[in-house]
Amino acid sequence: MTEANQDTAGKILLIVEDDVLPAMALRDEFEEAGYDVMDLTARHQEALAAARARKPDFALVNIELQGRDDGIALAEELKAMGIPVLFISGQISRARSAQSAAIGSLPKPYRASDVVKAVEYLQRHLRGDESMRPPRGLEVFDPIPDAA
Amino acid sequence: MAARPSSYSEDAALSLAMAVVTSSPGPLLLLDGDLNVIAASDSFSQAFGIDTVNAAGRHLSYLGGGEWDVPQLRSLLAATVSGAAKIEAYEMDLRPSGVGARQLVIHAQRLVYLDEGRPRLLVAVTDVTATRANEKVKDDALRQNLVLLQEVRHRVANSLQIIASVLLQNARRTRSEETRGHLHDAHHRVMSVAALERQLVGTGAGDVELRVYFANLCDSIAAAMIGDSDRLSIAVAGAQAVVDARVSVSLGLIVTELAINALKHAFPGGQRGRITVDFEFSGPNWSLSVADNGVGMPADPDQIQVGLGTSIVEALAKQLEATVEVVAARPGTRVAITHTEVALADEASSPVARASGVGRSAV
Repeated sequence: MTEANQDTAGKILLIVEDDVLPAMALRDEFEEAGYDVMDLTARHQEALAAARARKPDFALVNIELQGRDDGIALAEELKAMGIPVLFISGQISRARSAQSAAIGSLPKPYRASDVVKAVEYLQRHLRGDESMRPPRGLEVFDPIPDAA
Repeated sequence: MAARPSSYSEDAALSLAMAVVTSSPGPLLLLDGDLNVIAASDSFSQAFGIDTVNAAGRHLSYLGGGEWDVPQLRSLLAATVSGAAKIEAYEMDLRPSGVGARQLVIHAQRLVYLDEGRPRLLVAVTDVTATRANEKVKDDALRQNLVLLQEVRHRVANSLQIIASVLLQNARRTRSEETRGHLHDAHHRVMSVAALERQLVGTGAGDVELRVYFANLCDSIAAAMIGDSDRLSIAVAGAQAVVDARVSVSLGLIVTELAINALKHAFPGGQRGRITVDFEFSGPNWSLSVADNGVGMPADPDQIQVGLGTSIVEALAKQLEATVEVVAARPGTRVAITHTEVALADEASSPVARASGVGRSAV
């Protein structure tokens, strides 16, 4: 895709999701949008190892992971590595209770295309660019502090 | 001149008062101004294991094993004696030795009678231990139900996500344009139900704010189907209605079908346009309409295709006991789904011109 060639910076994406079919749908949707999606992961340590081997620009993390792994604990470690996390879980209240670990939450059931929009919006938002409208259902946790 | 009451009548009055207190079905104490027990009801002695006969003449603090020696109760009662306070419902824990604590509600009142110099307190004691325990069991059960409800909703969300993902992947992989269209439509229908589920998460009840729901739906359809938002838009108008989830899910599916249909057929060749979703209600009567300002229906009825969308709208309208009416809006088309439960006295005040029958074409 030409778009991808123009701008590959900021487009390496890590998806951590224990439900493989939604994970595949997300992967394809993001690849179509020009993202470089890393191999799908479903567990805490596996995701962490992947992120250490090749640092992603952004991570989508489900809260309930395989083998009773917890996406919130993973998100905290990813955050410590400087990787912004978007929760993609139907457990809305748990996601809200972990606001410090992620920059937002787009709860299931979502449209895959809305997740792409959410990531685009959040990446701009982190740069202070508010020109884009956030997709419906996206909760932004980490407001940008006033520059003043 | 009023005769001074004889000592006989004084004795009789006292004996009556004692008899009233003693026979009270609810635990009752009669105290003097120094908080000494004058009389205790049999129900009091049974409830708190205190010998009524020995209790008479004792200070409240020495009753039983001293468990009634509660400083705050003492000072409240003293204040009541002096007339400075009245105890309506003082809650306290009684902790007799060897038995579990009991939760009590105390009501105390200074008696108004002829002998002002000898104040008397009437103290009613209610044991609410069992009631409170029942309330706690109920509260716990309610909390547990909410937790389960959240868990079920979470699972429903996950399941809908899986179904939506499968349809999307299927659409992505198919080569047939027509099949892909059908699969995308199916994906929209699943997402229509999903939008409702997402709105219900976090609410204990099954009530849905319809306008918010329609706005979510239309946003989601627009995001998926409209490439150029300057050219086409979907707006939601109408009253703020709160509707039961079972009705809402049907209304949402109808909106989805009609909006998709309008986006597909009403604006050919890059024509600009607008779709408006409107919901009005008056008492039990309501009307849902989806209108576009596009090209309108084909003049030749043979050109009108009756697809799955049409069947879905008609079936859901029937389920909601509503009629479907398609009107040429010039420009465009307006489809109204009308449910009339009560014929309004003033027909003109009805939010929608009454549909004469069914009649439907291309959805």
